[in-house]
This record gives sequence, structure tokens and C-alpha cells, in this order.
Amino acid sequence: MQKRHVTASGMGSTVAAPRLRRLDQPVHGTGIRAALYSLKPYLYLLPGFALLIFWLYRPLSQTFYYAFVSWGMIPGTEPTWVGLDNFTRLLNNKDLGTAVINTVFYTVGLLPFAIVIPLLLSVMTNSMNKRAKNIYRAFMFIPMIMAPVSSATIWRWLLHPSNGLINKFLQAIGLTSSNIAFFSTEGVATWAILGITGWKMIGFGTLMFSAALTGVNPTYYEAAALDGASPRRRFFDLTLPLISPTIVFMLTMSILFASQWTFSYIDILTSGGPSGTSTNISYEIYTYGVANCDGGMSSAAALLFMLVFGAISIGLTRLSNRITFYDKNG
Amino acid sequence: MKRIGLLLLSAALLGSLLTGCQSDGTVTQSPTGSNTNTASGDSILDPENPTTISFYSYSLSYPTMKPGMEHLIAEFNETVGAEKGVIVESVVDASTTQFKADIAAGKQVNIVQHAFPTMDEDVQKLGFQAYEDIFPADELAEHFSHFNTNALSLGQIDGKTYGLAFTFSTPILYLNGALFEQAGLDPNDPPSTWEEVYDCAVAIKEKTGVDGFGLAPDNGWATFGILYSNGAEVLSEDRTEAMFASEEGIEAMEMWQNLYESGAHAVGLDKDLQEQFMAGNLGMHIQSTSLLSGFQSAADAAGWELYGAAMPAFEGKEAVPVNSGSSLMVRGSSAEEIAAVWEFVKYASSEEGYTIITEEIGYLPLRTDVVDDPNYLKGFVDSNPIIQTNLEQLERIQPCPIWPAANATELTTLFADMVTQIITTGADAETLMKRTQGEMNKLMGA
Repeated sequence: MQKRHVTASGMGSTVAAPRLRRLDQPVHGTGIRAALYSLKPYLYLLPGFALLIFWLYRPLSQTFYYAFVSWGMIPGTEPTWVGLDNFTRLLNNKDLGTAVINTVFYTVGLLPFAIVIPLLLSVMTNSMNKRAKNIYRAFMFIPMIMAPVSSATIWRWLLHPSNGLINKFLQAIGLTSSNIAFFSTEGVATWAILGITGWKMIGFGTLMFSAALTGVNPTYYEAAALDGASPRRRFFDLTLPLISPTIVFMLTMSILFASQWTFSYIDILTSGGPSGTSTNISYEIYTYGVANCDGGMSSAAALLFMLVFGAISIGLTRLSNRITFYDKNG
Repeated sequence: MKRIGLLLLSAALLGSLLTGCQSDGTVTQSPTGSNTNTASGDSILDPENPTTISFYSYSLSYPTMKPGMEHLIAEFNETVGAEKGVIVESVVDASTTQFKADIAAGKQVNIVQHAFPTMDEDVQKLGFQAYEDIFPADELAEHFSHFNTNALSLGQIDGKTYGLAFTFSTPILYLNGALFEQAGLDPNDPPSTWEEVYDCAVAIKEKTGVDGFGLAPDNGWATFGILYSNGAEVLSEDRTEAMFASEEGIEAMEMWQNLYESGAHAVGLDKDLQEQFMAGNLGMHIQSTSLLSGFQSAADAAGWELYGAAMPAFEGKEAVPVNSGSSLMVRGSSAEEIAAVWEFVKYASSEEGYTIITEEIGYLPLRTDVVDDPNYLKGFVDSNPIIQTNLEQLERIQPCPIWPAANATELTTLFADMVTQIITTGADAETLMKRTQGEMNKLMGA
């Protein structure tokens, strides 16, 4: 293994050297040709950069600007500079505190659905025969590919206060005698949103972990089994370290996107209610911007949100470099 | 060095590209009144080259109202539209936020079916135009002369019409006849006060096991009627001060809270309650007449009789219903668009238009002339007692508050959240109402 690695990089350098020289050659020619040649790599990069700047960095820098102006985003109207007013209004908004607390609640609450349950499911299905494995995994993945609006509608029917199957079931087994309004009872709505988002995300995690498990060299397990390691021991000492990059990846995804994943269900099922108790930061940004036509406050919220999550993602990248293990022999 | 220079060059090129796009984006529309009174219909529109306009409607998102609204639009496109050269394209706008997003995106948004409370805000922010500023004065005066003046005044701000009342209803106490009879009550003698509603609801729950009464805390309009009915005011006449936390206001909310806690009140969102009533699992339900056709077909399919009564009153006082519904708000960026918009507005609020809206959806006709005309709605109204109840309520009606523009959405949210919290969490009505009123007045600068 080690040997092949050295050969490969050795070959790489011998190939690269003459190519570099060939690129340099025209520099000795006329000025314009030389300029064109040295322009070449940048021309290759230009389309990529242009798209990136146009679609990502331009709106991003505009958001910085909009956070300090009052503007309804209506064509033909001009933004007016208001300084830090948007931030003052944002921090005094009654729903912001709830939105932040709920964002943390949804983020932490989604971790079991993004990591623990999918990990168990993929390990459990991994030892099945190929056909059974594929069938099970396909079933687990179905919620993931369903459109959020349709799955939200189905859940709305299931959890309907008077006509829903879940309420009927709970009453039949005597757990409750009155109808439960899952989406309009304070404290219950957040759990309902979390459960539905989690149900939807299990398939994604399972798919990622299953793929990671496929990449694990089976000879390790054979060797460990010969040495008498129990399945439990094999899971903790072999499986976990070997798929640690995927675990950290799923952790990052789950933390950074929990707010967006819950968004559609909040929008369709509770609209942030009852009394704004199930809202989260993404939904608030949307409400300020689209429903209230308050581009300034929406941008201010987005900016704060970006700073906090930027810091979190830097932390996660560092964590990833420190604790993950890449099996170079796999 | 050379490379850095080239990088800068490409960056500059890119920059000019971007600024080019930006300036394009800002000159798309100028929603000003530059076309004042130039829209004289036929002269500008050309049937060979029809003008396409957009109509954003929330009614299209309700299964009970969709067929009627679609029929209205199709009928226009096939008759007047085809003849004069106008094509109306409908856009479903379930939460009435799509039109805002589309206006912000610079799309063509011409006619919006718009609720009353946030009208003022959207006039200020979204460039909706006054009818008097853009439509021909003589035609406008003629058209308005057929309307109920109360209805017209609902869409007027500072003397100008920004919205022509379009779909309109009052709250109706719907009754499920079968459940009433099972509980030993007579649906022909419906409860007329809140005390009677309470007793009937509890009786239905006890005898049949299903919920006796339902009014969703997020109904968004009937709540004002409850407050008004007990003599409370919500917003001062000059629209600068919230004043619902009065003794009468608090008493009204406590009555509803008490009813909610009786154990006979349905739980859930407005949509949930509509579905519960249609499934036959709810004895009484306060809801807009716009749901009449949907409720009627659900009742017919399941074999129970649908009854309707006026909104209940407080003991010794007269009930003051509010109106729900919408107005047509308009904006156009060219003389052709404005002329086309005027054609559709005229049609939608014509005798034909209201006949479709009333018969097929259940909204009230706002033209006084169609109700008594046997060619249009006389037969329908005579055979439909619920529509009659609704028309009778029109005389006592008070409009929902139109919150001042600057913070209308925040004010709407504060009020709605307060109502939900009082009713569903059992919070102390007095404390919460006084606190919310204070917050709202702070926002309004009162």
C-alpha cells in the first residue's frame, strides 16, 4: 500500500514538470501572446467565479447593505438609510426570543433523527442479504423524497383534532378523552413539527451511513471476529471510527440546516403559531421579508443568523479535522 | 504583477456586468398615476392583441370556493374578455403573501383579492392605485351607483376607493340539524344569546359525545364581532389608538374563554374546525357564508340538515356582526393594463358576476339591484334562508378595524396572538389584553 502511494505521487511530479515548462514557453514570445497565455487559466475560472459572485456573493453583500436601510423591496421605491434601527427593532421583537429558543430546540431535537436512529438502522440493515437490505432502505428513504407540502398535508390529516386517525387511536386506547389539537396547542406544536421533520430526515441519514458502511473494508470485521470481538465491541471500535467522517458530516448538516428543514412544516402546519410559539429563525426572516415587506429587518435577522451559524460551522470544521479518522487503506 | 492586473480587469468586467443588471432591475415599473383618467376602455384594448392581466385570489385555494371563482374568471375570459381583448390569468394565493413577493420581484401584479385589515399598509407599500385616479370618472360613478354605500365605504381610505368590496360575508352560526335533534334540541329554534349557545353546546356534548360548539381562535375576524357585540371598541375612530382592553372587551373575551373551557368547545385551527363541521362532528360552528356551498354539499352527502342562524348576542344587547371578505385592489403600469383591469373589475362586480359569486360560493351580493331581480338572484335568495339571515345582518354590521399602515402586520399579529393565548391557554384576559393594548399603542405611537 505504502509503496503504491509513493509511486503514484512520483509519477505525478514527472508528468507535471514538462507541462509547466510548456506553459511557460510562450512567455518568451511577443507581449500580447504572452498575456493571452497567462490569461488562459483565469478564463477557465471566470464562468465559475462569475456565477458564484452573481448568485452568492452579490446577494450576500446586498444583505449587508439592506440590513441598514428601510426598504419594502418594491421596484420603483428607494431604500432609506436608517442605521442600526433594524437591529434595535429586531432585538425588541416579541417573537425573536422564542424563535431563537425554538431554533436551538429543533437543532438539538433533530440530532437523534439525523444521526442516532439512521446509524442504528443502517447498521441493522447492513448485515441483511442484498435484496432485503435494498427493500428496507428504499422504504426508509421514501419520506425523504416526498414533497414537503404533500407529507405535511398527510400529517395534518393524521393529526387532525377531531377527524384524525392518531386522535381516534389515542382515544380508543384510553390515553386521552378529549381531542388534541397538535398544531394549535402551546408546547405540543413544537414537538409535532420536530417529529415530522425528524421522520422526514431519517431516510437521508440512513442513506449516508449505509453508503459509508459499504466503504468499510469487511476484512476488519473478519479479523475482529476471529479475535473474539463481540458485535457491540465491533460497532464501537470499528464501525464508529471508520465512518466518523460521515458522522461529523451529518452532524454539520443537521446543525446548519435544521432551521431550514423545519421551515416548510412550520409554514404549512402552524404558521409559527399558536401565538408565535412554534416559529424559528428562518420562518421569522421569511415573515419579516415576505409577509411584512420589511426587507431591512429581514436582512438584519439574516445577517445575525449568518454570523452565529458561520461561527458554528467554523467550529464544526475544526472538530471534523480533529476527531475524524480517514482509513487510507480502505 | 501581470496576473494581478488581469484579475483586476476581469473583476472590473464582472462588476460592470453586475451593475448593468442592477440598474435594469430598478427601472421596471413606476406605479404612479401618470395614466390618470386615460383609460377609456375600448379605444385602447385590441381584441386581436389581447392584454393579459393577473388576478391573485385566495378563494382559489379553498376547495369550497375554487369552482365558483374559476367559473367567474373563465366566464369573463370567454365573454367580455374575448370581445374586448382582455385575458385574465389567475394566480392562487393561499396565504395572501404571494402577491407581495411577486410585486417585490417585479412581476406583473394587477388585481388582488385583498382582505380589509391590511389594506392601508399595502396601499402605502405596494403601489396599489385609487380607483378615482385611474378609471374613467363617468363609468366609475355609474358603476358605484348600484352598490350598497356601506359596502363601498369599506374599501375607502381618506375619501378614495382603493378597494372595491368584492366578496363579502357576515358570520353565521351554522347548525348541524341531526346533532341538535339527537340532543333533544330544536334546530328551528336556534340559540340567540351566548348563554343559550353555552347550554346547547354542553347538551350536545353530553348527549352525542361530539363537540357542541366551535369558533377557532385564529378566525381573524369574528372575534371583532364578539367584542363589538358587548359594546367594546377595538380601534379608535381616528385609527390611532387601540382600546379593546375595556371592561366590555375583557368581559367578552372571558365569556368565550369560559365557553372554550366548558369541555364542549372544539379545538384546533379555523381550517380544522371547518373540516370537523363538514365531517358532521360539530354541533354549532361560527363561520363565514363563503363556506355555505361547501357545508351544504357536505350535509347533503352525509344526509343531515344544515341550518343557519344569526350571530349570537350578549344578554340584553344586540349582536353586532362584522364583515369578512375581500376587496379588489388594483395596480397597472400602462394604459392598456389599466383599461383591461377596469373591464375585469366591472365584470366581477356586475349582475352576472355577483350571481356567480353568490350562487356558487355563498358570498353576499353587494349590489342592491341583483337581489330583487328575478333574472339574477331573487329566486336563489328566496329559497335560501341562510343568505337571508346574512342580508338581515348587513344592517347592523360594523367593519373590522383597518390597522394603520406603518405597522399593520405587526398589529394584526399582536392582536391574533393575544386572542389565541387567552382562549387556548386560559391566560388571564384582563392582564393580557391590557399588556397587548399597551404594546400596540406603543407601536402606533399613541
